[in-house]
Amino acid sequence: MRGHSLRTDEPARNVRHAAATWDLGVARRLVSHAAHKAPPGLRDRLEEEWLADLAARRGTFSRIRFGLGCCWATRVIARDFGVAAAAGNSASGQSLLVAHGGPDFSRFSRRTVSLIAIVCLHVGIFYIYLTGFAGPRVVDRADPLKGIVIDRPHRLHPPTPFPQPKFTHTFLGAVPPPDPRLEFPADPTTITVARAIPPDVPLKPAPPTPVRRVIGGPGAGFPDTEDYYPPAARRLGEAGIAVVNVCVDPQGRLTSAPALGESSGIRMIDEGALRLARAGSGHYRPTTENGRPVSACYAFRIRFQLQDP
Amino acid sequence: MGKRDGDVRISLQTLRALEAFLENPSDELSGADVQKRSGLASGTLYPILLRLESAGWFVSRWETIDPVTAGRPRRRLYRLTPSGLARASEIFASFSRGVPA
Repeated sequence: MRGHSLRTDEPARNVRHAAATWDLGVARRLVSHAAHKAPPGLRDRLEEEWLADLAARRGTFSRIRFGLGCCWATRVIARDFGVAAAAGNSASGQSLLVAHGGPDFSRFSRRTVSLIAIVCLHVGIFYIYLTGFAGPRVVDRADPLKGIVIDRPHRLHPPTPFPQPKFTHTFLGAVPPPDPRLEFPADPTTITVARAIPPDVPLKPAPPTPVRRVIGGPGAGFPDTEDYYPPAARRLGEAGIAVVNVCVDPQGRLTSAPALGESSGIRMIDEGALRLARAGSGHYRPTTENGRPVSACYAFRIRFQLQDP
Repeated sequence: MGKRDGDVRISLQTLRALEAFLENPSDELSGADVQKRSGLASGTLYPILLRLESAGWFVSRWETIDPVTAGRPRRRLYRLTPSGLARASEIFASFSRGVPA
């Protein structure tokens, strides 16, 4: 086995014909780097073996993953064979154990290294959160306060007073009265006022003299309500009051048909009242103004009331 | 932690590597072949191969080819030793019948 491992020029020659792609180059560098971290007696063997197995791989991801795996394998192998060399109790693996006598790679176990890495990562994240990715701060310090010693107190001068304004009195004289625009015609007895009333404005009529008005109503010979009491209403015992509007001329005659001003609520009573109002034409007492009969319209109430038997 | 057989820690990954050889114990397999059969990553497989070789379960040799003629580098081939085969068979047989308490 040692004979094989000593042929250090073999690995480079064996893989020379491999495709010189970038991923293969990176993987080869990883493998070579990992192999050189292996115990000295295993370096050449592992490098050649891993490069040969790398050549059988296809795909960028597979090759890179293989190279990274070799890096990890080196650490495990170094730890395993460091422990084995210290123990020296494996007879069958003697050839391998004798081959390397490098430093003790098992100073930190894989678990310890992982734990330290995790702690460092957390500390870093915590520090970043504390500082907020802030760079070194530049503190701009202001100059320290300086005390000024005043030798002698300055006497404050009183403020200069404002100059007193000088008022000048001007007598404006008497205010002229408003100009009434009076025009004096040649005839001194006639005065014409400029602000005359426009001719299109009608003159206000003279206030009417008070009129003593006496509203008319049923007069002498007006028919009796009993004669015009609707018989049906009498039988039913209905009674009521209707208001009738009438227009009467100075002779006491109706100038238009009477109209129902306010209903009694009973149709038969209302009809009887209108008949009575029509029948009373010529017997109305006309409305008078200052004692003189005039034509006028007015309303009067007609009551139909059952008489006690 | 796995069961220890001598100085070899029998872990699940070790069993998977052994299983790749037990398909045909007389075969000589390279690390790439074992990786294809077992699905183990290189970071796990190669320490196991070296560990089992140190413990005498495997022997290894370089492939006898001409790299220029073959068009590829020579590989390191592993093969189960008779003692390794016996131990591996015994371990797998113990899984078949159950592990005694």
